[in-house]
Amino acid sequence: MNFGGLHTNHRAIVAVAAIVFFVLTLVMAVLPALREQASPALAGAKARGHEEERGRQVYMREGCGFCHTQFVRDLPMDRPYGRASQPGDYALENPPMLGTQRTGPDLSDVGTRQPSEAWHMIHLYDPRAVVPQSVMPAYRWFFVEKGQAGPVDVVVPVPAGRAPHGKVIVAGPDAIELVRYLLSLKQAKVSR
Amino acid sequence: MRDPGLVASPSVDSATVQVMFEYVVSATFWLLVGTGIGLIASIKLHWPEFLPFSWLSFGRVRPVHTNTVLLGWSSLVLVGLSFYVVARTSRVALWSPRLARIALWLWNLALLGGLATLLAGASRGPQEYREWVWPLAVILAAAVLIDGYVAYRTVGARALPEVYVSNWYILGAFCYLPIIYVTSYLPFYQGGLGNTVVQGYYMHNAMGMWFTQLALGISYYAIPRLLGRPIYSYALGVLGFWTNLLFYPLIGAHHFIFSPEAWWLQTTAILFSVGMMVPVWAGTGNLLLTFKGGGGAVRRSYALPFFVVGLIGYGLSSTQGTIEAFRNANIYWHFTNFTVGHSHAAMYGFIAFIAWGAVYGLLPRLTGREPNPLAVGVHFWLALVGVLTYVIAISVAGVLQGFAWVAGQSFIASVIAAEPMWLWRTIGGLLMVSSHVVFAVNVWAMRPQRAASPAVSPAAVRSPA
Repeated sequence: MNFGGLHTNHRAIVAVAAIVFFVLTLVMAVLPALREQASPALAGAKARGHEEERGRQVYMREGCGFCHTQFVRDLPMDRPYGRASQPGDYALENPPMLGTQRTGPDLSDVGTRQPSEAWHMIHLYDPRAVVPQSVMPAYRWFFVEKGQAGPVDVVVPVPAGRAPHGKVIVAGPDAIELVRYLLSLKQAKVSR
Repeated sequence: MRDPGLVASPSVDSATVQVMFEYVVSATFWLLVGTGIGLIASIKLHWPEFLPFSWLSFGRVRPVHTNTVLLGWSSLVLVGLSFYVVARTSRVALWSPRLARIALWLWNLALLGGLATLLAGASRGPQEYREWVWPLAVILAAAVLIDGYVAYRTVGARALPEVYVSNWYILGAFCYLPIIYVTSYLPFYQGGLGNTVVQGYYMHNAMGMWFTQLALGISYYAIPRLLGRPIYSYALGVLGFWTNLLFYPLIGAHHFIFSPEAWWLQTTAILFSVGMMVPVWAGTGNLLLTFKGGGGAVRRSYALPFFVVGLIGYGLSSTQGTIEAFRNANIYWHFTNFTVGHSHAAMYGFIAFIAWGAVYGLLPRLTGREPNPLAVGVHFWLALVGVLTYVIAISVAGVLQGFAWVAGQSFIASVIAAEPMWLWRTIGGLLMVSSHVVFAVNVWAMRPQRAASPAVSPAAVRSPA
C-alpha cells in the first residue's frame, strides 16, 4: 500500500507531522490563549498589595493549588463558593490557579466567606483544631513557639491542648503573608 | 507489507545495547523514586501528620511525584526502547550512542534539579507538569531535541527503503514534544486565562502526543516480534497515526469544561474526544488482533501478558477519558479523584505495562541474559493487582465526592466519604511500589555482559514460531 510515497520518505513524514501539529498548536492553543489574555480585568478588581503578593508566592511554593481550586462553575454545587468565574477574574493573575482537583474547597471567594484572620492562622497551624476531619497538612514551619510573646508578635489563639504546654504560638512572615493573600481572595462584584 | 522486524538482523552493536540499557536503568531509578514519593503523598491523605516536614508536605511531593514518573520513568524508558526500535527496524546501529548518552545525562540532571527545587519550594505554582523553573526546562528540551535527532538520523541511515510504521510514531513523538514543551513555557500569550488555555493544551498533548505515540511505536515493533507474526493490519497502524495527529490536539480544553474559557473551544474538545475513539480502537484492535491464534505464545511468554494488559489499558482508559469529557458526566466527575484514577489507568495500566513488556521482551535479546521468570511473574501480579486496587479505590472515592457535592452537602462530607478509599489507594500503591523493586532486580539480571559480543539469544518467547 502506498500512502502518497510517504512510507519511503522519513523527511516527508517528519515535515508533514511537524507542520500539521504546529498549525493545530497555533489554532487550539496560542490563538485562543491570545484572545483570553486580552480579557480586561473586572471593574471592581483590586490589584494586590506587596504583602498579598508575597502570600501568593507562599501559596505557589507550598502547592496549595493542587488541592484547592480557584474556579467556580455555573453549577448548583458550586454556589457555596461564589458566582461563576469569568475571564476577567484572572486578568491580573500570573499564573491563574484554576486547578483540576478539589480535595479541599474552592478558594475563589474565601476572603468573603471566612474573613477571620485568627481562624486562618489556627487553621494553618493545626487544621484539625478547627475542622476535626480535615486532611490538610499542618504548616507548623510558618510559626514559632515562644515562651512569651514580644510586643509586635502576631499571637495565634490556638485552642487549649492543641499547642505545647506553656508556649505561645507566634505567626512567622509566611503565615502572615499567606493569610493576607487568602483574605484578599474576594470575587469582584459584577452585574449580570 | 513485510515486517522488517521479523527478518533476521545482524546483531546490534554493543554501544547501542549499552546506551539503551543505561536509559532503562535511569528510568528504573526514577520509577523507584517517583512512586516512593507518590506513596508518601497517598499516605498523607489518610494520615495527615505522617512525615510533617516542610519539604515533604503534600503540596510539594505531589508535583515531584508527577514530574518524576512522567519525565523520569515513563519518558526515559520509552526513549531507550525507541532507540532499540529505530535501530532494529532500520537494520543499522544507533546513529550516535555518544550523543544519546549526553542527552541521558541532561535528562538526569534536569530530573535531579526538578526534584531538589520542587522539594525546596522553588516552583512555578500548580501548573501541572510544568512546575519546574525555566532553566531546568531548557535542559530537558535540549535532551529531547538531541534524542530526537539521534532517532531521526538513525532512521535516515536505514538499510531498507520503507520507513516502518513504528518509526512514524516515534519520529512523530520527537517532533511533537519539543513543540508542546516550548509552547507551554513561552510567556507571550499566557497572561490571565491565556495561561489556562495553554495548561489544557500542554498537560493533554504531553500524554497523547508523546507517551502514547512512543508506546504505540514500540508496540508495533515488539508485539509482532515476540509473537513471530506480522501485525494484523499495517494500514490501520498508519490510519491511527494520522487520526491521532488530527484529533488529539483539538481536545486539550476538555480539562476545563464549564470554565470561563471560550465555549467553542470546550465544545470542539468534547466533539473530538469522541473522534478519538477512531485512533484508539484502531490501535487497540489492530494490536490485539495480532494476538489472534497466538494464545500459546502468550502463555509461554513472560513479556506478552504485560502487552495484553497494556493494550486493554489503552482502550479502556482512553474510552473513559472520552466519557469524562461529556458535560453531563463531567458534572459528577470533574475536580474529583476520578480524574486521578483515569490518569493512573492510562499512565500505568497502559504506558507502564507496555514499557515493561518491551523491556522484558527485548532486553534479553540484546544482552543474552534473562531475568528469573518467576520474578517477572511476581512483578506482573503485584503491579496488576496493585493498579486495579488503586484505580478502583480512587475512582470510587471520586464518585462519592461527586455525589456528596451534587447532593449539596457541606464540603467536609466529601472528605469523610472519600477517606476510607484513600486508605485502599495506599494499599494498592504499596503493591505497585513493591512490584517496582522486583522490576529493578529483574533489570539488573538482564544487564549486558562485559566484553562479550551481545548474542542474539534465547528469546523471551519460547514459541514454536
